Amino acid sequence: MAAVRTALAPEAIVEGDPSGRNAPSRRRRTPWLLLVTSSVIAALLVSPVVFLVIQAQEVGFRTVWDLIWQPLTATLLWNTVSLTCTVTVLCAVIGTLTAWCVERTDLPGRRIWAVLLVVPFAIPDLVVSFGWETLTTALHGFFGAVLIMTLTLYPLVYLFVAASLRSSDPGMEEAARSLGLGRVRTFVRVTLVQSRGAILGACVVVALLVLAEYGAFEDLGFQTFTSQIFAEFNVSFNVPGACALTFVLLLLAVALLAGDVMVQGKGAVLRAGRLAQREVPRQHLGRATAPVLTALVLLAALALGVPIGMSIYWMFEGGTPAFAGGSIVAAAVHTVLYSGIAAALATLMAVPVALLAVRYRRLGVRLLERSTFLVLSLPGLVVALSFSFYSEHYLHGFAYQTSPTVVLAYVMLFFPLALVGVRASAAFAPPSLEQAAGSLGKGRLTVFTRVTLPLLAPGLATGFCLVFLAAVTELTATLILIPTGAQTLATQFWAYEENLSYGQAAPYALVMIAIVLGPAYVLARHFQRLPRRATGS
Amino acid sequence: MTSSPEVVIEDLHKGFGDQPVLRGLQLVVPAGSFTAVLGTSGSGKTTLLRIIAGYERPDRGSVAVGATVLDNHRVHVRPERRHIGYVSQEGTLFPHLSVAQNIGFGLPRRQRRGSQVADLLDAVGLAGLGERYPHQLSGGQQQRVALARSLAVGSEVVLLDEPFNTLDANLRSSVRSDVHDILRQAGATGILVTHDQDEALSMADLIAVIRGGTIAQVAAPGEIYDNPVDADLARFVGDANVTTGTTTGQAVETAFGLLALREGPLLVPCGPVTVMFRPEQVQLEQGAHGPGVLARVLSAEFHGSGTVISMEPQLRGIRSPIVARVLGNLSFLTGSTVRFSVNGPVCVWPSTPPDQDAQRSSERPPRDRGQPVGDER
Repeated sequence: MAAVRTALAPEAIVEGDPSGRNAPSRRRRTPWLLLVTSSVIAALLVSPVVFLVIQAQEVGFRTVWDLIWQPLTATLLWNTVSLTCTVTVLCAVIGTLTAWCVERTDLPGRRIWAVLLVVPFAIPDLVVSFGWETLTTALHGFFGAVLIMTLTLYPLVYLFVAASLRSSDPGMEEAARSLGLGRVRTFVRVTLVQSRGAILGACVVVALLVLAEYGAFEDLGFQTFTSQIFAEFNVSFNVPGACALTFVLLLLAVALLAGDVMVQGKGAVLRAGRLAQREVPRQHLGRATAPVLTALVLLAALALGVPIGMSIYWMFEGGTPAFAGGSIVAAAVHTVLYSGIAAALATLMAVPVALLAVRYRRLGVRLLERSTFLVLSLPGLVVALSFSFYSEHYLHGFAYQTSPTVVLAYVMLFFPLALVGVRASAAFAPPSLEQAAGSLGKGRLTVFTRVTLPLLAPGLATGFCLVFLAAVTELTATLILIPTGAQTLATQFWAYEENLSYGQAAPYALVMIAIVLGPAYVLARHFQRLPRRATGS
Repeated sequence: MTSSPEVVIEDLHKGFGDQPVLRGLQLVVPAGSFTAVLGTSGSGKTTLLRIIAGYERPDRGSVAVGATVLDNHRVHVRPERRHIGYVSQEGTLFPHLSVAQNIGFGLPRRQRRGSQVADLLDAVGLAGLGERYPHQLSGGQQQRVALARSLAVGSEVVLLDEPFNTLDANLRSSVRSDVHDILRQAGATGILVTHDQDEALSMADLIAVIRGGTIAQVAAPGEIYDNPVDADLARFVGDANVTTGTTTGQAVETAFGLLALREGPLLVPCGPVTVMFRPEQVQLEQGAHGPGVLARVLSAEFHGSGTVISMEPQLRGIRSPIVARVLGNLSFLTGSTVRFSVNGPVCVWPSTPPDQDAQRSSERPPRDRGQPVGDER
């Protein structure tokens, strides 16, 4: 942790104080306003977990234990854990290698690849699994699930690692070369170590998202905790059973986050080093150019070509496209409104938590911040159930199944993604800049709007886009919470696909893809970049 | 000293985009020497260093260390096979490794724990600090670790890219001499890139002044200071008083009297010349009466070791102020009238009429991007 401060204030460490113990920021007190706001937000995000505990208490912990302690749980656990591990490792490998190719080599068409590699994250997993399902029947079960989750989630690792490579000092790699290390060994001993924090951070998010995934697995007939939770609820309306299984899921998530907190504590040292100031000479791929390009084209074909191609195929398969013009527009409007408002709210809420997390890195703050990630592993269904519970018990059914509840559910489900986006920029807005502005005679509000917010802008944009992309495809919470009669693109697509009306489902898939392309582009261009004016020279 | 090779750079060209940075640069760094490449920012000095290290490939020209060609139109040896150490401005120590691990980074796994690392720690005066992490070291200590790290892998040539820039002024001189001593003991050839004239003059055996992508002059520090090749270079390596005069064989007639000529490498024909002398050569007398040129003191700044006085000669046709450096605190002289004379031999270059002068300067590399200098061969 000391090294983080070294990076921000190298002059603070002088000879005679080798431990850096007198670095000024250590004794800064946490401002209560940030702390209170962040705590309220964290409490909101943890409320579904509280709901689970209340449920367990009502049916008795004994019953919950019996529900968990059955052979099915072992199968589910094996399926879930093996799937999560495989997908996470594959995503880490693909994401890191592609990021290195784009950021550090003379790969042809880097600017295009930088966007193309990110877009698959925006393609709804529902549509990806639909594309593969209807293309080949060979794809089923474990391997199908691995393929689809990897193809939709590797861009997260790519984004994190590419950002870390951009901001890390290429001088380290050059130093290693001068010391006699070849390209491969430099990559392993310097580049990978430098990006370790970014890779791990991305892997945690990927793993949590895999834990909560439902739609894709349902299509593939692959049983995980989330699909079983859904079955318990849908088929037998067995809320205690669903909650009991969710507990196991929650435990997995807690283990993951605890591990992350421990590892990141050490990993923080790796952020030291100043930002790259010169254009780095890129590695010549040489004879490797053709194989690398082939691999990237193949990746794009699998991740983008199949879902988009199959959607177009099905749309025209029945002769004239079966348009339901009016309803598709209504669904699109609902989708954009819900997702847009939710993304804006989540991003705003992420600001205090991000500032707190970046500036006051003590254990309590880190736990508070990490606790907001728990919700990412919860199936949307469980969050929706907690809403109905709270609404029924404390608000007499008020606000249940209204548009605001859908928005609130999205905010809660995808808040961690907003936080990921905003936190990166918060690191570029050190308190010293605010103090400088303050010393120029500006009030706190002026300082916030004229210094802090502009520095956070890229983070706000990417946080918004991440939440928006995830919310557009949200299915399970929407199915429960949406007002009667209303539809989003995802629910309507789901309904048609369930009926095997592929021709009618396809237009919804294509509209969803059209809506997410813009935010995906913004994400690719701005994720974890410095504010533009700060980099211009 | 005996083992270290010389570095030979010939006709080096390098551009970024359509912006040429190096234009036919030639330089021979003698074996075992400590050579400073002195230049302003943007003169191409860091690019030169990065090419020698192998981080950049030259567009044209060759780099050789001893008998080994590292770069020419066919060959490009990768950085890891060059055995050339590189110490950057901020040291670029690996933040996740301890000091000892940093020094042992380039060694085979078996040797990393051996006595070699301890010996090097000792050599750079950091014995006992092997378990520290880079952020627990001062800037000067970090630079010494970076140097030890390069020497650990047996680098016979060590490149130093403005390594003392980030250090405190009072720390800088001690680290400078430490680094020089360490390199000399290791018998390595050192190439230092810097924009700081004092640093180059005080540290180096040889100074190469880089200007507009070529080497303007290579000489020992004293020679560079006393006999610069032109007035611009004279001003760059230190304070300079520049005026005009007419040579008459052994002496030069100036507004400040008849001055002796310094014996330089250039033979200057009789006629109009540009004259340069250093502030230390100006001798000052207080009071308005007596021999010498009358002048009004514009400013007198006390620097502890002496006073730098800027004064306006009371002569017709002389506009530019004359700078003098004298011992003692004479800051009270501001605004008063003094007399001065010029001691010792002065530097002269054939002067050119104003229009020709403008033409000549436009042919100089920095202002002319269209004509690479190397094309004339």
